Amino acid sequence: MKRILAQARKELAQVRRDRLVLFLALVLPQILLALFGTALSLTVTDVPIVIQDLDQTALSRAYSDAWRQTLTFRVVELGSDSQPIDALDRGDARAAIIIPENFERDAIRGVPAEIQILVDATDANTANVLRGNAFGVTANFARSQRSGAAPAIRPETRLWYNPGRDSKRFVGPGAFAVMFALFPPLLAALALSREGEQKTILQVYASSISAHEYLIGKTVAFWLVAVAQWMIGVAVLRFMFGIWFVADPTPLLVGTVAYLFCCVAFGVMVGAAIPNQAAAIQLVQIVGFLLSFLLSGLIFPISNIPAALRWIALFVPARYYIELSRDAFVRGAGWPAMWHVPIVLSVIGLVFFAVAWKRMRRMQVSA
Amino acid sequence: MAGSAGDTVIAPGAPTEPPSAPAPAAGGLAIRVRDLRKHYGELEAVRGIDLDVRSGEIFGLIGPDGAGKTSTFQILAGVMPESSGQVSIFGQTPLEARATVGYLTQTFSLYVDLSVAENVRYIGELRRLSLDEIRERGDRYLEMFDMLQFRDRLAGRLSGGMKQKLALVCALIARPQVLLLDEPTTGVDPVSRREFWDALAELSGTGMTIVVATPYLDEAERCSRLALMHEGRLHDTGTPAEVRQRPRLRRIRVRTGNLEAAEHILEGIDGVRDTQRFGDSLDVMVDDTAGGESIASEALAREGVTFTALKPEAPTLENAFVAVLRSIGGEIVVPAFPFDSTRDPVERGAVAIGAYGMRKSFGSFEAVRDVTVEVRHGEVYGLLGANGAGKTTTIKMLCGLLEPTSGDVELTGERGSLRSGAVRSRIGYMSQKFSLYDDLTIIQNLRFFAGVYGVPRDERERRISWVLEASGLEGREQLMTASLPGGWKQRVAFGASLMHAPSVLFLDEPTSGVDPLARRALWKMINAMADRGVAVLVTTHYLEEAEQCNRLGFMAAGEVVAEGSPTEMKAMMRGRLFEIIVDNARVATLALREALGHDRVSQFGDRVHVQSELPVADATSEIRALLDRARVEVLRIEETTFSLEDVFIDVVHRSRDAAVAEAS
Repeated sequence: MKRILAQARKELAQVRRDRLVLFLALVLPQILLALFGTALSLTVTDVPIVIQDLDQTALSRAYSDAWRQTLTFRVVELGSDSQPIDALDRGDARAAIIIPENFERDAIRGVPAEIQILVDATDANTANVLRGNAFGVTANFARSQRSGAAPAIRPETRLWYNPGRDSKRFVGPGAFAVMFALFPPLLAALALSREGEQKTILQVYASSISAHEYLIGKTVAFWLVAVAQWMIGVAVLRFMFGIWFVADPTPLLVGTVAYLFCCVAFGVMVGAAIPNQAAAIQLVQIVGFLLSFLLSGLIFPISNIPAALRWIALFVPARYYIELSRDAFVRGAGWPAMWHVPIVLSVIGLVFFAVAWKRMRRMQVSA
Repeated sequence: MAGSAGDTVIAPGAPTEPPSAPAPAAGGLAIRVRDLRKHYGELEAVRGIDLDVRSGEIFGLIGPDGAGKTSTFQILAGVMPESSGQVSIFGQTPLEARATVGYLTQTFSLYVDLSVAENVRYIGELRRLSLDEIRERGDRYLEMFDMLQFRDRLAGRLSGGMKQKLALVCALIARPQVLLLDEPTTGVDPVSRREFWDALAELSGTGMTIVVATPYLDEAERCSRLALMHEGRLHDTGTPAEVRQRPRLRRIRVRTGNLEAAEHILEGIDGVRDTQRFGDSLDVMVDDTAGGESIASEALAREGVTFTALKPEAPTLENAFVAVLRSIGGEIVVPAFPFDSTRDPVERGAVAIGAYGMRKSFGSFEAVRDVTVEVRHGEVYGLLGANGAGKTTTIKMLCGLLEPTSGDVELTGERGSLRSGAVRSRIGYMSQKFSLYDDLTIIQNLRFFAGVYGVPRDERERRISWVLEASGLEGREQLMTASLPGGWKQRVAFGASLMHAPSVLFLDEPTSGVDPLARRALWKMINAMADRGVAVLVTTHYLEEAEQCNRLGFMAAGEVVAEGSPTEMKAMMRGRLFEIIVDNARVATLALREALGHDRVSQFGDRVHVQSELPVADATSEIRALLDRARVEVLRIEETTFSLEDVFIDVVHRSRDAAVAEAS
């Protein structure tokens, strides 16, 4: 126990001493979190579109006005001699609405009036959103024209949990989780691989401290650093994102203890296996961060991942913590929905730790 | 476990604490190694060594880089498993014995971003000492090494010598019975080196067993016993005196103005076993002194070479090791240089590198003040200095990398534009640390250097093949450079720096860490260049290298404070040096120090060196009287010659005293 504390105290002294590490530990994560929250917006607004009105009637003009009234779209003028497809090609517009001749006549006769909507689908996600919105605009317009006759089924949609569809409420808690998949393991991996690289590990080997004491000491130190990061991160969420706990915070608190352990243990494992700081950084970044970014449901729903790869997501700790933090900050379902998360995270963390221990247990130079 | 280590109170005069566990009897076996082997894949680093280290002795493992010293130490310290063989430390396996072993690794294993006190505390806590013990012992050792005032300084901000002492404090904090020191003095200047060895002598006097690995033969002299390690095997074991006497060769030192001719004449004639050239003398190894003297003097007279002195001297450890290495077939033959050594004809004796009143200030700090140095074509000039003496700054200015604040610098006849292509193409540079790319093959390295130095295309292949021949690597040019042993690598690097036929060579510790034969081979190449008129400037703090220079300049506090040939430098020393062989060198050292002063007395294994300004008879009777009072039996007292290290330390002390006097 004494040696564990000695080890942890030494690590913390080194963190405190090294300004670069201190910056990496406390400031950079918050910058990243802020950047994520502001730059990574999934809300689609102000999309430029062109309308080619070949009908030039009262109804076609009313339909065009319906597009102008949305917040999502911004109608840009189509030059008199250019075709809608040119505007798409040039990138002036992301979608083109073409109202054919006889639009009003068909509508009055009760014949289904047709319009054509061309959507630039280079960015498939945005294209989907645009398509959905375009249907909405057109359906609303059609309903407004046909007053009286009520449709057989009228869906009434309410947006639950995040009624304003504020993407900060979606991205914020997610980025918050991913941040811990990067920085605490990075610090822990650096601290271990540095000892191998600078050969200070020999002095540790020579001292008969056991592998678990050494590793627990390191883990405790960087877990504490991670807790400090977490607390600052919560403050950033509160003041930059305006997000706060919506219900009982205990699932998040308990899950955080497990998640931070899991993240640090991952770094400890990498650092114990690779006595080279540059390589350790790369591994943490690529495996830890990229997987957490892509396979955790931060942006893309896990159900969208091809089934052949989806199982990997089961082992990505950030995926569980994202669920947990979204629940704590947005949904608020609490323990009944989240009871499994701390358990799963602890198990994954213990596996990482066990691998590190297996690697170090002899406390000798491997050759 | 923590308290069970044998107590090692080493502050002189401090009362010895009773050991908490029965201390092993002095002279008993501390370390026993049988048929120890270690291989890394294909590579066999340790090839079956047997070793007995007795309790309380300083045992030296002497060998070049790559001999297997570090592997052996890592096994002894329990940080690496052996491939096969038995190791026992006081009857325990190295793993079990870790608590009783202190290990100072080659890289010192310090945490550079922790303070001195934090480093000591961390290591102490790892070794399960209480905070009181750590503070009390740590302060005592820091005080002993004169470092107490630096407790709060970051370890990374300490000088090389102080880092080494801090590492020693960390290794001592648990009061080990056995102290393992892996090349503890690499990168440490001679003054700190001597202090360090004095401290080791004190520690060993308290019964601690010390095993030290070193590539430097002058350090081997300070061990009680030593073994020569070469390519994973131990070759010669014994006290320094035993090892020196073993080859049964006699050494005759010849002084002459024409070393080149004398070496040429004496090499290979009947009755001469070996010759070795130094900066201002030539050693001839013969079977018996009288016969050898007449053979050598007759041969020189026959060829009309005059000599100023020709007298027998005691063989050195280096002579012994050379004999051992030769007997195992380590001889290296260096072929003659096949092309014109310099692109432009040079006049021997003309100034190649000149600095006149050169100064350099960084802000308010004067790194170099008023240095005047001339190195002539055909001369090997050695620039020596402690760390921080201004050596590196001086060299940078001399080769044009740094602009002096004031003063003139001349390089190959040019002043001013020292970085011009014409000047640079006449300069060669080689450093022990950085020369070749380890991850390229030898031939790739050579082609690269031939290219960057602008060797004419039609000459390239011929010069590359010479370098390969000179380094004994013909047919193996596709080897990765990293896989070469140190000595080979240095010869390749040296050859590479010569490919563009420079007329001025800058060498930075060119032969540190290689075995004596490899060092000789490289110095043969260097001397061959000088004989052709190349000016060679060597910077080093290894005195074995300094002995090879024609002229030396000692730097201290930014100035060249002494200059001359190695012999002239030694002659500058005031007084005489006496070597005393006694039955208890430890007690003798303490007694003599108390009476004569700390700086004048050093312990060298079982012998004591004393510096005295009295006439021989008075000095010996004074020493005898002092030792008689201390109840030490004197076996022999004889006058001996000062080493360059003695001179160096004296010069540094005097310049420090002068600075103090100036300040007050």
